[in-house]
Amino acid sequence: MTSTFANAPATRATTSRAASGLMMRGLRTITRLPSAFFPAMLMPIFQCVAFSGTFFAITHVPGFPTDRSINWFMPLGVLMGSAFAGVGLGFSLIRDLETGFFDRLRMSPAPRNSLVLGPMYAAWFRSLIVTAVVTAVGFALGARLTGGLLGLVMLFGGSLGIATVATGWGLGLAFLFQDMRGAAIMQLGLFISMFLSTAQAPLSVMTGWLHGVATLNPITNILRMSRQGFVNHTVNGHTVGAGVTWHDTWGGLLAIVALSAAAVLFARRGLNKLDA
Amino acid sequence: MSVGTIAPRAEFAHSAETGHAWSQTMAMSKRSIIAIVRQPALIIPSLIFPLFFAALGSSSFSRATQLPGFPKVDSFLALTLAASVLQGVIFGSVTGGAALAVDIETGFFDRLLASPTSRVSILVGRLAGNALFGSVEALFFTLVMIPFGVNIRSGPAGVAVITVAGGLIGLGIGGFMAAMALRTGSAEAVQGIFPLLFVSMFFSSAFFPRETMKGVYRSIANYNPLSHLYEGMRDLVITGWSFDAVLKSLLIPIAIGCVSIPLALLALRRRLRAA
Amino acid sequence: MEAMSGTNSINDYPIYAEGLMRHFGDVKAVDGVDLQVNAGEVFGFLGPNGAGKSTTVRMLTTLLRPTAGVARVAGFDVVKDADQVRRRIGVALQDAAIDPLMTGHELLALQAVLYGIPKAKVRDRSRELLERVGLTGAADRRVGTYSGGMRRRLDLALSLIHQPTVLFLDEPTTGLDPMSRLALWEEVRRLNAEGTTVLLTTQYLEEADQLAHRIAIIDHGKIVRQGEPRELKAHVGAPTLVITVPTGQLDRAREVLRSFGDLRPTAEGSLGVGLSAGAEAVPAVVRSLDEAGMHVQHLELNEPSLDDVFAEATGYRLEGAASASGLPQAQGAEGGTGKRGRKRGANDSGGEPT
Repeated sequence: MTSTFANAPATRATTSRAASGLMMRGLRTITRLPSAFFPAMLMPIFQCVAFSGTFFAITHVPGFPTDRSINWFMPLGVLMGSAFAGVGLGFSLIRDLETGFFDRLRMSPAPRNSLVLGPMYAAWFRSLIVTAVVTAVGFALGARLTGGLLGLVMLFGGSLGIATVATGWGLGLAFLFQDMRGAAIMQLGLFISMFLSTAQAPLSVMTGWLHGVATLNPITNILRMSRQGFVNHTVNGHTVGAGVTWHDTWGGLLAIVALSAAAVLFARRGLNKLDA
Repeated sequence: MSVGTIAPRAEFAHSAETGHAWSQTMAMSKRSIIAIVRQPALIIPSLIFPLFFAALGSSSFSRATQLPGFPKVDSFLALTLAASVLQGVIFGSVTGGAALAVDIETGFFDRLLASPTSRVSILVGRLAGNALFGSVEALFFTLVMIPFGVNIRSGPAGVAVITVAGGLIGLGIGGFMAAMALRTGSAEAVQGIFPLLFVSMFFSSAFFPRETMKGVYRSIANYNPLSHLYEGMRDLVITGWSFDAVLKSLLIPIAIGCVSIPLALLALRRRLRAA
Repeated sequence: MEAMSGTNSINDYPIYAEGLMRHFGDVKAVDGVDLQVNAGEVFGFLGPNGAGKSTTVRMLTTLLRPTAGVARVAGFDVVKDADQVRRRIGVALQDAAIDPLMTGHELLALQAVLYGIPKAKVRDRSRELLERVGLTGAADRRVGTYSGGMRRRLDLALSLIHQPTVLFLDEPTTGLDPMSRLALWEEVRRLNAEGTTVLLTTQYLEEADQLAHRIAIIDHGKIVRQGEPRELKAHVGAPTLVITVPTGQLDRAREVLRSFGDLRPTAEGSLGVGLSAGAEAVPAVVRSLDEAGMHVQHLELNEPSLDDVFAEATGYRLEGAASASGLPQAQGAEGGTGKRGRKRGANDSGGEPT
């Protein structure tokens, strides 16, 4: 049916342009609301220092894949930092929902996907910053690459993957709760998932119930992929080599793809429900 | 007609003159405790997280107990009871301090000041809530871990000391939180201390024995009072009754309180002067 | 600018709604709203808090899906063609929802990006809008430092970045000081003169009276009156004579007044009657009251206002205290009171609410 208003100028941005605009907004928060970003940076640095110092002795347990505790805990710090950088975008979204700013975005003709992708791009950028800083601190504390530059690529890949998952999770919960209850669950969920894995000790050293849970937890695979550039490969507690292998990579990639898809779908569904 | 001074009504004159500080303190303590009980969402993390870490630790680090420098224990879990008490009470104390800051932010604190409430009772009431909650948490963790195989070698007396220690830690740490709340009037600022306390726990023997650390890290842990406090309570669990353990468990939080409570009183006095 | 009269095709109405409903569980926030806003019109949507104004606007601006009914804005269905609707409307909601961490320039630039305005045009368009709303000097400051009035003006600028044909203003002057309010009214008139159709929701009768070509009064989710302000006031008809007598004489005074017209809701402690014979009946009323031994403490004659229209339509006042017949002040859906009262009197054109 034709409309009198059909000829009025009526444009909209492409998904990438709109997402980039929203990404820039997300990145401005880094300098304009540092309290929202810097804890995500400081916490993993603290974690590296504290864990590698406190649990130093665990490297002496037979079968532990490295003799440097910083090599073991630095990738964990990087992934935790990236995860919380992603979740930080969920907090921002809650703020936007509570103030009504998100209504402004929803009333614009910006493609709906850009409302999820924009924060995602910002999370990736933040994750890269966190990864670079924490890795630098780790090296300063004595971390050493055993897997060459490819090991570093795996670490960055893992951190981007976790940031994607965390952002989707955070955005989805923000859409679901639309207030700070979502924030508490975001953090708790991530925290518990990450620690119910090989966060503190490898499977070969673990005993009891945690061994079973960590084996099934896909984050274990992501950790394995991210750590492989810094630890040795062990079989039955014996070191058999070092470096990046497909064996230690494919599980992490699969976990990243599967969890990212689920998280982004969760976020997108949440956005659709807002429009309902 | 001049107004002159207006005397309080006869039936209230006695209260106004004596202040009934004790009954006011009890009332404020009761309020503090009721607030804790009625907001489970605030206290559940301080009960659940330490248990979570304890469970994680016992699975991740059980083999580490065979390493040189580790105390002789039946299981890693036995080492975590004292750490859980410490963590839980610290988490809980932050909540109490934040509640005082919220009172200031919402104006309820001014309402108390405008009444004949004894000023010190406002603070003491808040700290009493912290102390009671600390003791309850200590007992809670003890009772939860016993069925999982933790054998408290010092027996009921040791449990009593750990329970009292929990209360004293709540009092001591609560003093710092109250000082921050009174100084800043901001719940966010109080919660901002939490990372500092959390960090100080890591730089102690609460998670792994000092003997297994090295370098600067070990030095910091050696001087950290939380290390000695933790070891006192730990020894009551894994070694048995000893005065050394009892003294560490009780005197160190008392010493912390001797610093923190005067700080809180000073902050209270400053706030009253500014009002 | 004279508004065009409506035509028969629903596509010729910039805003068209038929049987529009929105339910939240058992609460019927909007319960069958029919609207036809003509092109080039300023349409006022009047009602107390909780009447359903904002919910209606949220449906028309695609933020909320209707439970039932049809709504078309700028010729497109708000549900099926939401994207097309969004490209053509500008919206300034009740709360000026802007990011306090961003500067005015940055917000305009973001808005321009979201609306697909070519990069080359963004700067000029932003500059033009900032000048128009008087924010050029503050444009590089963070919005968090802006006053309430400045935020509203920026909100308006953001809603205009893409030159919409239809503009929704949801209580745009709530919380503003009188000067800012007047400035915003001027801007609305200017936009309308340039051809923009405006739907304006408000609790302020005078705002509707000053700006709207036509108004609709919404109460408890339904439109109870719709038309030009002049016509609606004329429909209420006769001027209202308001008297104050001692409390003990109210019943007797009520009996006397009934013979001169219909009793009308007034502030507590007073009585009002619509004089069917017009202002000429005043002396006769005074004589009758005197003969009945009434002690008239105060007397005033009021021409019909939109408040009278509202009272006549709903049974209570949007502003002021309860009437002599016991009718309450406007209550919102949440049970809150209606708008804060203002000083009443004949020819009440000033006295903006605080």
